Amino acid sequence: MTDTILDKEQKLVQLLEQTFKKLSGKVVRQRRVTVSVEKELVPSVLSYAKSQLGYIHLSHMSCVDWPENNNFEIIYILWSPADKVQLFIKTLINRENPEIDNVDMIWKHANTYEREIREMYGIQFNGLVGAQEFILEDWDDMPPMRRDFDTVEYVDDNYTFRPGREDAGDVREEIVKRSGEDIPDFAKKYSRD
Amino acid sequence: MINDKNSKKIVDIIQDFSRRHSLFVLAYGTGCGAIEIPPTMTSRYDAERFGIRGMATPRQADLLLITGYLASKTLKRVIRAYEQMQDPKYVIGFGSCTINGGMYWDSYNTIKILSDYIPVDVYINGCMPRPEAVITGFIELQNLIKEGKANGAQKYKENLEWYRENQKKVIKDWKMPDYNW
Repeated sequence: MTDTILDKEQKLVQLLEQTFKKLSGKVVRQRRVTVSVEKELVPSVLSYAKSQLGYIHLSHMSCVDWPENNNFEIIYILWSPADKVQLFIKTLINRENPEIDNVDMIWKHANTYEREIREMYGIQFNGLVGAQEFILEDWDDMPPMRRDFDTVEYVDDNYTFRPGREDAGDVREEIVKRSGEDIPDFAKKYSRD
Repeated sequence: MINDKNSKKIVDIIQDFSRRHSLFVLAYGTGCGAIEIPPTMTSRYDAERFGIRGMATPRQADLLLITGYLASKTLKRVIRAYEQMQDPKYVIGFGSCTINGGMYWDSYNTIKILSDYIPVDVYINGCMPRPEAVITGFIELQNLIKEGKANGAQKYKENLEWYRENQKKVIKDWKMPDYNW
């Protein structure tokens, strides 16, 4: 890949790094740029990208849990129809007291993503208006998408396992034993070993 | 007693005959299994030749199909729909997810064994069951009705407390009336 192809991506990183001091950008590949910022800067970077750089569309807002580093990572994915570049804006927030500024005054539909992240990860968005319950009903445990949430333990407490299906093990031997039939040839090649 | 074999009169035989040849399915799909219903109903497999067809509301339907995984949130609606259905009513559990959770065996929001919550007359195995398997399940149910063994609704009435206890374990915020036959 020659340099001229990545021209507009590098120009975008340069422009963002000039405007915001505490910002580091990287060109991942053609039409994809990631930018890491501090959480206080997020609303201003987003509104700058929207009003000045033409990144008018928020494609998605997502969250990653990093219990190893005691962090949550919030990712805003922006799209510019003119440049045809995807801009990933990433920010790290502390896992102990997770809160970040609400951005639904910039894009209205960010409200929905924020409500989902609030419910699934337990992150507070300052100034977010919207019903507390989004998808889950009567949930009284820890937010279920956190990585330290043990689903098997939760299932064991709240539901009953069918005997023989307490794990994801291969049950074909058991079926052979119970039914007295052989495993068909087409099924043998899907062995898990 | 309608489904008691010992006291089966000629009227009951005629009743059972008409029932098993006019199974009206509630048009309600819970999981991905509902995608197998259109081919079953339409011209290729044509379930209507067995008297099986869709119905719009629970009060008109005889048969509740639980097609695939059942989220604990959906369970509330399923219980409401099941209790609104009029006798005779039957339930078919459709796909592995209703039997043992299937690929959602460790999911935090789907139930694992359907017959703990509502009485199931026939289970259809598979992920997904093909329309042939679905029709085999329907015919199995018809045979059960013929023999007078498809008495899930009666079982539900008799063991209501046990079912309620299981249901309330999943639905923590119980806002429904305790029963509405």
